[in-house]
Amino acid sequence: MEKLIIEHTEDTPKVHFEPEIGIFSIEGRSLPENAVAFYNPILEWLKQYENTENKGFTFDFKLDYFNTASAKQITKLLIQLQQMTQKFDIKVNWHYYVEDADIMASGLRFAKLIKANIELLPYE
Amino acid sequence: MATQHSEISYAYRLFEGMQKDNLSYIYRGVFSQNITDGILTLTESNLDKSGEDSKIKKRVFTIMVEGLQNITRHQEMEESSDVKETGIFLIQDVDNRYYITTGNPILKRNIPNLTEQLNKINSLDNEELKNYYKRVLNDNIISDKGGAGLGLIEMARKSGNKLVYDFVDLNDNYSYFYLNTEISQNETEHSPEVHKATHALENIKVIHRLLNQEDVVLIFNGIFNQESLLNLLSIMENQMMEHNLNLKKKVFNIMVEMLQNIVKHGANSLDNNLNPGIFFINQKGKQYHLNTGNYIYKSEVENLKKKINYVNSLSMDELNTFYEKSLFNFQIDTSKEAGLGLIELRLKTNRKLTFEINDFNEKFSFFVLQTVVD
Repeated sequence: MEKLIIEHTEDTPKVHFEPEIGIFSIEGRSLPENAVAFYNPILEWLKQYENTENKGFTFDFKLDYFNTASAKQITKLLIQLQQMTQKFDIKVNWHYYVEDADIMASGLRFAKLIKANIELLPYE
Repeated sequence: MATQHSEISYAYRLFEGMQKDNLSYIYRGVFSQNITDGILTLTESNLDKSGEDSKIKKRVFTIMVEGLQNITRHQEMEESSDVKETGIFLIQDVDNRYYITTGNPILKRNIPNLTEQLNKINSLDNEELKNYYKRVLNDNIISDKGGAGLGLIEMARKSGNKLVYDFVDLNDNYSYFYLNTEISQNETEHSPEVHKATHALENIKVIHRLLNQEDVVLIFNGIFNQESLLNLLSIMENQMMEHNLNLKKKVFNIMVEMLQNIVKHGANSLDNNLNPGIFFINQKGKQYHLNTGNYIYKSEVENLKKKINYVNSLSMDELNTFYEKSLFNFQIDTSKEAGLGLIELRLKTNRKLTFEINDFNEKFSFFVLQTVVD
């Protein structure tokens, strides 16, 4: 499957999906004015991947900030990943800066609400 | 709640005052290189949005750069625990003229020399200014005095108008120095008399006192869009550099939600696609008070009131549950609305949201929202 790479901007994160080398990551800050428009292609890509005979993967979220509009779209991505666990072996890493109480709390919330094998990983 | 209420009225008064003057942008605080860059970018994007002529834009820009450099230079030279006053920068758009005003504390003993320079510059016409600029430039190279008035000459040349200035006593050693430059948006029109600019400067002194009184660190009155939001965020991030991460993030977070509220829901009384409004932050001890004001359609007032009152009525546990329910409510999932903003504001501040809705005319109301972060 074609890789998906979206470079980061001042208000959107870097998206890097490259199955051949096993990279699935979203990294940076996310506060676009139109979060639906930004996240829809990402969601669509994951839905296509679900229909392939690829293998499982580890998905890395490494965000340092997201607005509420993005929170809803990230929820949709996680629900998609949750659904994909029926077919693939998926692990979701939720990285947070060790002193960042905010990103840690949202990771805990997602781990509680979505059964997608989410693990919280602090970094320094 | 009585103090909060009067503060909200203050927000409305301030907006009314600034609207009347069509004030577009004020920054009050410490000026660093990053903040200066932020201010320049913000003004540039606002000028671009307004479709201003590129010649005028360039003149505004040059005068801003010189004015901002004046503030930072004095800040370094005259840094002292003796004076708590910080610099101020304003750009206004009134009656087809731009007014750029800077203010900063200076040592009183520098006043005579500065006054002499300003009067000399004001006594010269354009051609004379050009020659004077060359002469001062040469003198500087020879004597290596550095700076010495070149910035002021450049401001006068680019504006084509007289420099209006004033000094206000701060204490035994310091005065506050205001400098106001006018740029006509109409190429050929220069105002021969300075009384308009002098009048504008008097208004600015009043507004400055108001800002000092409430410790306003950043105020923006203009067009709200994603671009101005990003620039304001970067200015605020720099201003809060030395604060701890979690407070910084909280302020950042709340600013984004409040400003995107204006971008997405603000109405325009002029019926174009721009969203006018006001945003300001004041510091109260260790607290930051964030305030927004914008127009909304009268037809939306009841619904908005209901939403805020509902969010305010919930306990923190109930709020968390409501947040999670809303996160999974994909009935509300458009480019305009995720249904989470107000809940987030209440959760992050751990306080009830304070708001006020005032009648503006038969079609619009003015909505003021305040949050407190500590």
